[in-house]
Amino acid sequence: MLPLLLATVEEANHAAASGPLAGLQQTFEHFGVEPKLILFQLISFLILFGVLYKFGIKPTIATMEERNQKIAAGLKHAEETQARLAAAQQESAAIIKAAQLDAQKAVDEARKAAKDFGDKQQAEAITRAADLLAKAQQAIELEHRKMLNEARGEIARLVVKTTEQVLAKKLSDADRAAFNEAATKELSAL
Amino acid sequence: MAADKQTKLLAKQLFKLSLVNGVVSPEQVTGVLGWVEKYAHRRPVALLKAYHHRIAIELAKSRAEVEHAGPVSDATLRQIEAAMTKRYSRPVTASARPNAKLLAGLRVRVGSDVYESSVAGQLATLSL
Repeated sequence: MLPLLLATVEEANHAAASGPLAGLQQTFEHFGVEPKLILFQLISFLILFGVLYKFGIKPTIATMEERNQKIAAGLKHAEETQARLAAAQQESAAIIKAAQLDAQKAVDEARKAAKDFGDKQQAEAITRAADLLAKAQQAIELEHRKMLNEARGEIARLVVKTTEQVLAKKLSDADRAAFNEAATKELSAL
Repeated sequence: MAADKQTKLLAKQLFKLSLVNGVVSPEQVTGVLGWVEKYAHRRPVALLKAYHHRIAIELAKSRAEVEHAGPVSDATLRQIEAAMTKRYSRPVTASARPNAKLLAGLRVRVGSDVYESSVAGQLATLSL
């Protein structure tokens, strides 16, 4: 290797002595580089690149673009969905809150109605009890009066019966005749 | 057997024929009974009962039954007759009937009217 490098350096020095372009040409010739081959290789590469670009890179880029668009659309859809979800959550929260308020209101009304009903029942029960008590007192008073009247009537009957018996024994014909005369005058004056 | 409406109506007409100046006339009653006997009614018993009921009521209005306890003089009966005749504007005859339950006093019954002035009645009023 070393001798090859030394030879190269020596040739380069020799070429430098004859001019830079000639030296470069000698170097290319020394390494086997042909400008025609390089030109052909460049054309081949360009053709290959064009074929690859048309049938490989370009569809791949289009597919990637499409995929990127799909991803972007998916992301956008996801964002919209998230926004709708958030709105739906807010709406459902509002509905739940309204329902809770309605339920609370209904419970309050039911409690109030139950309390009113209980108060009314209690008042009616008190009134009924007072009526019953008053009726019982009236019945007792009536019974008391009835008993007193019966006692008075019985006493009066006894007194009258006793009086009748006494008068039947004690009245003389003269007394009766005098009473009959008075009765005649009374009946004639009617 | 109860009298029907036509029988009662006929009895009422026969009763009116039996009165002379508002007083039951024996002659008229005899004539009415003869008519009933002559012209047989389809329900003669019911007719005679209704006629008899009306005549009895009318005769009771002309009689004053005086119940009494103790002695009652004829003058007393005449006084009652006069009072009842004046009251009912028709001749009323009084008849006495003793009733010791009155204790003393009188009870006069003319038809369905009763007038009483007796010790028993006054005591009964007291016992009420």
